[in-house]
Amino acid sequence: MIDVILQAFASIVLDPVTLGLMFVGTLAGILAGAIPGFTIAMGVILTLPFTFGMTAVQGLATMLGVFVGGFSGGLMSCMLTGIPGTPSSVATTFDGFPLVRSGRPGLALGLGLWSSFFGGMISAVILVALAPQLAFLGLEFGPWDYFSLIIFALTITVSLSGGNITKGLIAGLLGLFAATVGEDEINGVARFTFGFDDFKQGFAFLPVLIGLFAFSQLLTDVEDDKRAKSPLMSQSGTVVKVEHRQAILIILKRWVNLFRSSFIGIFTGILPAAGGSISNILAYDQAKKASANRSNFGKGEYDGVIAPEAANNATAGGALIMMMALGIPGDIVTAVMLGALMIHNIIPGPTFIQDEPLLAYGVFIAFFVAHFFMVGLQAFSLRIFLLVTKIPMYVLASVILAYCAIGVFALHNIVFDIWVMFFFGVIGYFMKKLGFPLAPMILGVVLGKLAELNLARATGISDDMLLFVSRPWSLFFLLMAVISVIFPFYQEAKKETLFAKLYVPVSMIVLSLPLFLMGSPVRMIVAVILVLTGAYFLYKRITSLKIT
Amino acid sequence: MSINKDTIVAIFLLLFCGIMINSSFDIEDPGYQGMKASFWPTIVLCLLSVMSLVMLIKSMVSSTVNNLNSENTNSQNIFLRYKNASICFLMFILFLAFLDYLGMLIGGVLFVFGLLTLLGGFQIKKIINHSIISIITIGIMWSIFTFGLKVILPEGEILRIW
Repeated sequence: MIDVILQAFASIVLDPVTLGLMFVGTLAGILAGAIPGFTIAMGVILTLPFTFGMTAVQGLATMLGVFVGGFSGGLMSCMLTGIPGTPSSVATTFDGFPLVRSGRPGLALGLGLWSSFFGGMISAVILVALAPQLAFLGLEFGPWDYFSLIIFALTITVSLSGGNITKGLIAGLLGLFAATVGEDEINGVARFTFGFDDFKQGFAFLPVLIGLFAFSQLLTDVEDDKRAKSPLMSQSGTVVKVEHRQAILIILKRWVNLFRSSFIGIFTGILPAAGGSISNILAYDQAKKASANRSNFGKGEYDGVIAPEAANNATAGGALIMMMALGIPGDIVTAVMLGALMIHNIIPGPTFIQDEPLLAYGVFIAFFVAHFFMVGLQAFSLRIFLLVTKIPMYVLASVILAYCAIGVFALHNIVFDIWVMFFFGVIGYFMKKLGFPLAPMILGVVLGKLAELNLARATGISDDMLLFVSRPWSLFFLLMAVISVIFPFYQEAKKETLFAKLYVPVSMIVLSLPLFLMGSPVRMIVAVILVLTGAYFLYKRITSLKIT
Repeated sequence: MSINKDTIVAIFLLLFCGIMINSSFDIEDPGYQGMKASFWPTIVLCLLSVMSLVMLIKSMVSSTVNNLNSENTNSQNIFLRYKNASICFLMFILFLAFLDYLGMLIGGVLFVFGLLTLLGGFQIKKIINHSIISIITIGIMWSIFTFGLKVILPEGEILRIW
């Protein structure tokens, strides 16, 4: 084990090419995160074409640089201009911007930067500790369980992506359908090709992803004529000196908030589709509730900066845990990384860490290293950021649209892929306009083939469809899928209704059933705790109903 | 009962499902043991049809969504709202249609220049800026992919003749 870790360490830290790529990746990520209208996911997607010519370790390390850099990039724009660069830095604006306006921009930036660093480090430790264990658990999965896990990943993406659940499910199903076009992997039979030879190879994952996500986003960005022609930011910030030492001391004094926020970030990252945009607000909310200075929140409270920044960087580690351990992307960024691995003929799954230990530990180490780059590059990237914000959006969008075409072509060297990107770009644009979330569709495209393959394996082993509900893990994931589909209705329901009161306790009791069926002592204990807690809540809520 | 955007989308989706389910009957069955090639897409399409039907019903009974008549369907407003997006679509189609003739380098430069000028304006100073931006950015990208990543980008018939 130690020798594998050392080799992985050498492949990242002692390789100047990999370090150079991570340097560029982190810088690009910080800028992508800082520019409003751009997202971290878009930054990672646009990086992918450059990674074709790299080794898998180099490609993933570069993308991790963009990923980690993106989270800290968002804090620059939100603090200096009051406009969050990414959705994952929205809550940072609440106290970061007032802190800057009160005359402490160096401290505000320092708090954000070092909270991001410490949050990332905590999640990196958890990633290294938890991913191999979770992968070990994943080795118990049969095709039935894996199929049900994919269904759960899709349903939770639908329920957490916000908006209309019907539209979310339709988007997910459209994604699954798009993945069926072309020759099927099991029988080699052409499907939905309508006589076109180009369709036989199916829609490659990357053009679909770039089309749905980047292309459609760029079209949305230039939609408003006036906004498209004006510079990216009207309020331009100034270069400030970051107060590193004082910021570190303040954060370490508030270590409880740091750890709590980091764990919120990790947990949110593990949930498919729940990314930094959710974790930063959750962590801010919890920090406010736990603080003795609640009234100071919104006026430049230090805890109000530490919580969201620690949480959003920790989310990255959480999302990586699911991808590394089970091959299920936690968000769009890890879905892209999954695609990058597939381009290098590596299929992530429960055996990934065992089969590709060098690559797996390389990812862990790259995640650590990226955080050091993030801190080191902040001052330099701040100057570039101030220059970039003077460019109008229509210039950036036009250039990036052309870059998308070149990048997509580089995948298979065929023009058909650019048409696919364009087609899905148009679909993505109109889907957004019509209120359909894109995340479920993207996950559907990524996981569609995997779902079909596992379903085929399951039905190939046995005709008994009841195995999907009689195998404990499969039952567990299917129950989780049902609970996640109902979740948006629970969110909308009024607190006093019977449904809202029963949702959580009944879910807990129901989920304990598959855990009991698993039989192992630890899982039985977890099941008993779930039943007891669920029963306690149920009793409390039923008695409160009787009283009212 | 009302008709709105969602109603039209749901009807379109139902039509799409109908066509695709019909097309799934043409999927060949090689007679191997195990799951047929049409099984999974059929399940997905059936679920999609059900969800589309749910959306249709919800859209028709919903009172919160404005019906089509009250929505802002003025043709001038629609044109203004989608003007820039339409320009992007059109330019991209032209870029792809002429890619075989112009190649990625010339086609890319023309695409970026055209798009910049159509979106940004036709003033002389802007046109000069746009031409510089398009030549430099596409030139850099083309060089990175051609020389750095060794990707053979479409050369185009024009450059081939030269």
